[in-house]
Amino acid sequence: MRSRTPKIVLIAAVTLLLSACYESPDVTRHQPGVYKGESDALVGKMGNNSELHDELNQRFDGQRDR
Amino acid sequence: MARMKFLCDADRCIECNGCVTACKNANEVPWGVNRRRVVTLNDGLPGEKSISVACMHCTDAPCAAVCPVDCFYTTDDGIVLHDKDLCIGCGYCFYACPFGAPQFPKTEAFGMRGKMDKCTFCAGGPGEDGSEEEFNKYGANRVAEGKLPACAEMCATKALLAGDGDLVADIYRERVMRRSGRPQTWGWSQAYGEG
Repeated sequence: MRSRTPKIVLIAAVTLLLSACYESPDVTRHQPGVYKGESDALVGKMGNNSELHDELNQRFDGQRDR
Repeated sequence: MARMKFLCDADRCIECNGCVTACKNANEVPWGVNRRRVVTLNDGLPGEKSISVACMHCTDAPCAAVCPVDCFYTTDDGIVLHDKDLCIGCGYCFYACPFGAPQFPKTEAFGMRGKMDKCTFCAGGPGEDGSEEEFNKYGANRVAEGKLPACAEMCATKALLAGDGDLVADIYRERVMRRSGRPQTWGWSQAYGEG
């Protein structure tokens, strides 16, 4: 009886090779001038947050001459 | 609404590189990447001038205009940020930027470029604020914590100012009035002449 090992190795190699051909379906389709990346939590946070702005402006006083 | 800006007072900068060190320390910037650097003109000659340069968070950012994958976005406060997951490391932004701000780490063999890295005004990047992932990709998010960029806060001579553009302009105007001369902003004489 012939050994099955070479066959198994061949199948495993072909499977491995083919798995490398996998392409993710989650592709970001480009549209000129449109940002399609992950959203930034800071963008919304800064826009209407007077508290954060006050905090930053207060902090800015540290850059004034004593 | 504020517009966040940097301004470096060339009459005060003493080329100590404290801003560069503060930036590297706060953001754990990888080796070979310089988000901020100090440029000295006429080094060693009388009247030499130094300025600290990084991304100036342009109002109409040329890097964003040329990016083929549109990985840049601007916050409501005018901070120009980018998404490293979209960046393809093409280097167009580097050619477009007049300040040489975009940096590319050589992460692979044959000097191949990695994802672009630049000053974020210590405002991190996309994703959850203050997360480990954000820190690893973009560095510290000090703005979300109510702090200003580390480079400006660390400046010993207060040459480098960062914050709301109106406040920055007020401080600089006061200084110029005290010096009783025209603004010594770098490039002024090139643009408007000596007279």
